[in-house]
Amino acid sequence: MGIPLVIFYVAYLIAVAIFIIYSVFNIYHLVRFGYLNLANITIIFFYLFIAAGILIISWEYISQIDWAMQIPIGPAFTPEANGPTNFFK
Amino acid sequence: MLLRFFIPHQLPGEKIILLLRRHWFIILTKLILFALLALLPLLFFTFARDFYIKLFSLELVYPVFVLFASVYYLYIWLFMLHAFVDYYLDVWIVTNKRILNIEQKGLFARVTSEQKLHRVQDVTSELRGLFATILDYGSVYIQTAGEMQRFHFQQVPHPYQAAKKVSMLADQVRRFNELIKK
Repeated sequence: MGIPLVIFYVAYLIAVAIFIIYSVFNIYHLVRFGYLNLANITIIFFYLFIAAGILIISWEYISQIDWAMQIPIGPAFTPEANGPTNFFK
Repeated sequence: MLLRFFIPHQLPGEKIILLLRRHWFIILTKLILFALLALLPLLFFTFARDFYIKLFSLELVYPVFVLFASVYYLYIWLFMLHAFVDYYLDVWIVTNKRILNIEQKGLFARVTSEQKLHRVQDVTSELRGLFATILDYGSVYIQTAGEMQRFHFQQVPHPYQAAKKVSMLADQVRRFNELIKK
């Protein structure tokens, strides 16, 4: 019995979706209300470049994880497991 | 082009005299703060990793840490952009006819207020604090006879010169208006 690890993955995807929505709003404001000079355009593209970089690097790690695993609720705290009972020994 | 972009209702013959944003030091301090926050997961991973691995197991700690670190860095980056947007879109403009105060408040509120130059009654500049004194940035308060009684240019560079310029322009406009009346 435990918490499916995939729950964290779903929460992550929701957080990424919110990140994308807020990024679009911020970029919209820069384009709509800021003067579209070279500095402004450079900042927008730099932002998108780094954001894409973070997402790609994250995906490299995330794709290697087995999301079918479960986080044990009870057994983690039994002497058989590597729980806190053994931790202080 | 610049004028048409920043001012929604451009008056005939209107020219920008001053276009002010906050001093660059203000945005720099925010970006440095976010850069320091970006170091936190690395410190956490260095010092607390062994504790959590003993408490659970590497197979369980690793995915959660990867997801957390990814979200953390994405949002640090997002807040950095938001700080820049807030800095870039807060503008105070003095033209040869009026003063405009354009403020971006969050993502969904943008406040624009304006006042005619001839309504300016009093202009005060204020420079307060160590960095403000060294780098010469501060506030300019413009008292007007209008409904919005006080304009506040916040943390703008060279506040004394800006206040002097506004005061001079207001005098010029008043003198011009008096000449027309005669």
